Parts: sequence; structure tokens; C-alpha cells
Amino acid sequence: MEQPDPLRNAPLQGILWQLLDILASLKFTLLIIVALAAGVIVAYTSKTQATWALVVPLAACAVNLAATVMTNPVFRRQTPLLIFHLALIAIVLLVAIGRLTYLKGQLELAEGEVFDGQLTQEESGPWHPRKLSELQFSNEGFTVSYAKGMRRGDTRNQVAWTDTEGRVHREVIGDQDALILAGYRFYTSFNKGYAPAFIWQPNSGGSPMLGTVHLPAYPLHEYKQSLEWTPPGSRMPLWIMLQFDEVILDPERPSEFRLPSQHRIIVREGEVRHELKSGESVRLADGVLVYDGLHSWMGYTVFYDFTLPWLLAAGMLAVLSLALHFWKKFSVRPWDKD
Amino acid sequence: MTLELELQTLWAALVFYVLAGTVAIFGVVLQRKPERTVLGLLLAGLALQTLSIAFRWDRLGHGPYITMYEILLSNIWSLLTVYVIAYWRIPQIRATAAVVMPILFVMMGWLLMTSPNAGHLPATYHTVWLFIHIGFGKIFLGTVLVAVGISGIILLRQSRYGAGRFTRMPNDDRLDELSFRFMAIGLIFDTLMLIAGAIWAQDAWGRYWNWDPLETWAFLTWLFVAFSLHARFTYKTTPRTGALMVLGVFVLAFLTFFGVPFISPSPHKGAV
Ligand code: HEM
Repeated sequence: MEQPDPLRNAPLQGILWQLLDILASLKFTLLIIVALAAGVIVAYTSKTQATWALVVPLAACAVNLAATVMTNPVFRRQTPLLIFHLALIAIVLLVAIGRLTYLKGQLELAEGEVFDGQLTQEESGPWHPRKLSELQFSNEGFTVSYAKGMRRGDTRNQVAWTDTEGRVHREVIGDQDALILAGYRFYTSFNKGYAPAFIWQPNSGGSPMLGTVHLPAYPLHEYKQSLEWTPPGSRMPLWIMLQFDEVILDPERPSEFRLPSQHRIIVREGEVRHELKSGESVRLADGVLVYDGLHSWMGYTVFYDFTLPWLLAAGMLAVLSLALHFWKKFSVRPWDKD
Repeated sequence: MTLELELQTLWAALVFYVLAGTVAIFGVVLQRKPERTVLGLLLAGLALQTLSIAFRWDRLGHGPYITMYEILLSNIWSLLTVYVIAYWRIPQIRATAAVVMPILFVMMGWLLMTSPNAGHLPATYHTVWLFIHIGFGKIFLGTVLVAVGISGIILLRQSRYGAGRFTRMPNDDRLDELSFRFMAIGLIFDTLMLIAGAIWAQDAWGRYWNWDPLETWAFLTWLFVAFSLHARFTYKTTPRTGALMVLGVFVLAFLTFFGVPFISPSPHKGAV
């Protein structure tokens, strides 16, 4: 039996309630679900950004649900169903907040190098709280296993970081095991390669500089292990190439990404070509270049979205309340009797 | 264990399934109730197929979730497992075997046409989320299949041929109610599948949701389930409309499971 709704006798009657009734219409809900499905298809097939196609139906969904919660007696009788729908709205809001505050980026670190907040690529929401530059961790080297046919397996990368009390922590991370610092999740990626280290002593004086040059990703650019590089303060661009003869990743058998046991570095300045082994140096137009040895570099992806645990909680709440709703509903009448 | 032994066991299982389906269909045609025979044949088939999957798992060192062959194989198994449980627990709906088995025959025929060779296990598959995500998905599809069986009866009854055949089953309203109970359970597991998938995607690719083709289709399927449940109480739909919506959900879910991953080379396949 329908109970008379005490709210309806409140002073703010008439037009307002009629409007609310329209907004709370369950036919409107069906329309919204169809619009959302259409929005997904538009957003998915559209070449340009079509966030509106999702935002409009989701906003309508929130309005429709809020109006229904206020007016529909079903939700007052069936608390688990109410909680389920509120959890759905919570998910929508959390996703929206997540989009406004997230960050997704990439960075590269040679072995031994410390992350200083610099990203090579990034996209982020307009309200992202920039805390990245306060973070530090170092890459302490990695291994990547490959199965036959050069299929990439697990990456295991040791990283180290210091907490606020000055304690050093070491952790092995991978493509699926993130290093989590202040909500930022750092993952390794397929993007990795060789990084020759050089000491550059400019003619203009000043202290020598040590740095690495990240060659193109390996094995992605196996046959293009070269790069143009201009030492700091120099006017002459150099062309750097790594050369080695051995097979690192053998398609015929399982193997592991590693440094070649023997290699040389070709440095070309203009037409002049030099070959360097570890420890050797060469005098160039603007200074002296010492080849300090070969390292590896790892490309990381970083992801920040503080809503993740809340989203998970809202999702679990939705499932649990949905299950409870149906449990209560179905236990009224057995499954196998008329 | 050799591939040959695995395939022989599979063939034996398929023979039992085909027998079960045939007996069930003749049961409807001849107005008999060979229910114990059907259940026995299905269980024998399931036992043999379980063995065949175990042989393969043991030989390859990973479960059946990489190649099309494996995905069909494991889904036939899981669909039948869910169906057999429903068949055993709810005697009233046993005539649905005549609807459900032909659908599975199509999948079995498809299975026999795909190559049983091993695929490569991507690095992103070394996680328990694989089992949780896939497991929930399989239960979802299984419950929708039961609903499809019941909906099939509702629709058959409206045809001239079926009008007098299923008299010993509950009336259409009751069948409609039962089929939507399975849809409701399906929605719970579909939701769980999406959540587990999002957790896995966050671990595997550093993003929980990216609208890749599989995610997009899975979400549309979820929306369609929500739509059908809502339409049912908003418009007090007839059992016939309800049955058609169930079929729609099944077709969409089927395309999502077996069509999308193989049409589009999306990152969802995991292998980089
Ligand atoms: C957009 C706004 C939505 C509104 C206003 C709304 C409203 C409602 C209402 C009033 C009911 C109870 C109907 C009754 O028992 O008479 C209901 C049931 C339900 N809704 Fe929604 N809903 C919305 C979106 C969704 C979505 C997106 C889902 C996704 C799965 C969903 C799933 C359900 C389910 C599973 C039931 C229970 C059906 C049953 O008991 O058989 N709803 N909804």
C-alpha cells in the first residue's frame, strides 16, 4: 500500500514537486541509460575528445537519482537498493574528481641515476596537486627476462628511496608492481635501453660533468643504437653509436636483457670518427670527452589518482548492497516452487 | 601428457554433450522427461572435459585463457558447469536443456575448427587477478545462459509448435521471474568482473580504465543488463519482451567475450 508522503505537504508544494517528479521519472532513467550507452559509443568512435558525450548523461543520471531518492518510496523501503544506487553516484563523482586531479607521465632513469621530478611526457587534470618534485628514488639496475621468440617476460628493477626519517628503503618493482610514493605509482615499462656514460671537460674551464646519454630503446630499435648529442656548453653536435657483435636477445631460446660483454662507442664529430672503449678519452673541438662505461636506462610510467582506494571501496559497496538486495528479494519466495 | 591424449579426452566429452543435448531435445519432442539421463550424460561430459583441460594445463604450465581455442574450451566448460548446477537445483527448468545445448553445440563446432596449438603467456598474466576476473566473467555468462534457456521456453511457447509442449513447466510470468533472477545474479558477477578487471588493468598497464574495445563492450553489456532490469519494472514488460531483452544481453555478452578480443588488436590482449 502506498503511504501518503509527509514531505509532499510541506509548504514548498506545487510546481517544485511536479518538477522533481519529472526529474525522478523512471522513464527518464531508461532514457539516460540509453544516452549513456550512446555516449560511450560516440566517445569511443570519435576522433576528437568527446568527454561531453559521457559527462552529460552521467550528470543527468546524478540529477535523476537524487530526485528519485528524495521522492520514490521504494528507496525508503529498500535500504540496500538505495545504498547500491548511492554507491553508483559515488563512483561517478569519484571518477570525475579523479579526472580533475590525475597525472600520467613518463620518465627515464639510467642505472644509478636519481629521479628529480622531471618527466619526459605528461598529461594531468587541471587540479593536480604538484608533489612530484618533492619525491626522490634511484634506479639501482634491472633484469628483463625474454622467452623464446623474444617475448618479453618479467621486469625486475631494484629501486631505493629515503623516507622522511632518513631511512633508506629498497624495493623490487616491475611492470605490475609499482613503487608508491606519496600516492604516485611508478611502474617499469617495455621502454628501456643502453646508456653510455661520459665525462665532459669543456675547454672553457669549470668542473668536469658526468652524464649519461640514453640511446634509443632496445630491442625496439635494435639496429639504430645511435643518437645525436651536444655536450653541455658545446656548439658542436656529436653523433654517438654503440657497437657490439654478440646476440643479447636470442629469438631461438630464452634470454635476458643485459649489457654486452664487449662493446665500443663510436663518436663522430663532423667528418671525424673516433672509437672509444671504457676509460678512453678523445679531444674534441670544445673539450675532452671521456667514455666512462656502459649502463642501462629504464623508462618508467608514473600514475597518480588518489581516488583509487575510494573507487574500490565504492565499487565493493555497490556489489555488496546489490547482492544483499537480491538476496532479500529472492528469499521471500523459493526458487523451485510455484 | 600429449596433445593427442588431450584431444581424445575432449572428443569423448563432446560425444557425451551431444548425447545429452539429443536426449533433451527428443524429450521435448516426445513429451518425456529423461532428466536423470541428461544430467548423467552432462556430468560424464564435464568430468571428461575437466580431465582434458587438466592434461592441457599440466602440459603447457598455464590455464586455458590465451588462445581462441582455450577461451572457447574453458567457456564451454564453465557455461556447462553453471548450467548443470541450475539444472540440478531447479527441476522446474530442466526442459531448457533443449534450448541451451544447441547454443553450446555451436560453440563446440567452433572449438573444433580452431587450432589447439599453444599460445604465448604474456607477462601481465602472472597474477591472481587473472583468475578472479575471468572467474567472475564466466559465472556472469553462465547465469545469462540459464536465463536464455528459460527465455527460449517463453518464446517457444508463443510459437505454434511450442504452444502445447511445455505444459508441465511453470507459467510465463513465473518463468520470466526466474529468468530475471538469473539476470540479477549475472549483474552482480558482471559488476565484480568489471571491478576485478579494473584492479588488474591498474596493475598491468597503470590505468584502471581506458575504454579499450573490450572494456567498452563490457561496459555496454553491463549497461544493457541495467536497462533490461529497469525496463522490466518501469514498463511492467511482458514475459515475451523480457525474454527478448535477455537474448539481447546474451548476444552482446557473447560478442564481447568471443568477438571483440579477436577482431581488435587491443592492449587488452596483454602481450607486448
Ligand atoms: C540513473 C539513475 C537511476 C535511477 C533513478 C534508478 C532508480 C531505481 C529505482 C527507483 C529502482 C527500484 C524500482 C522498483 O523496485 O520499483 C531501481 C532498481 C534497480 N536499479 Fe536503478 N536507477 C538508476 C540507475 C541504475 C543503474 C545505472 C543501474 C546499474 C546496474 C541500476 C540498477 C538497478 C537494479 C539492479 C535495480 C533492482 C532491480 C530489481 O530489484 O529487480 N540502476 N533503480
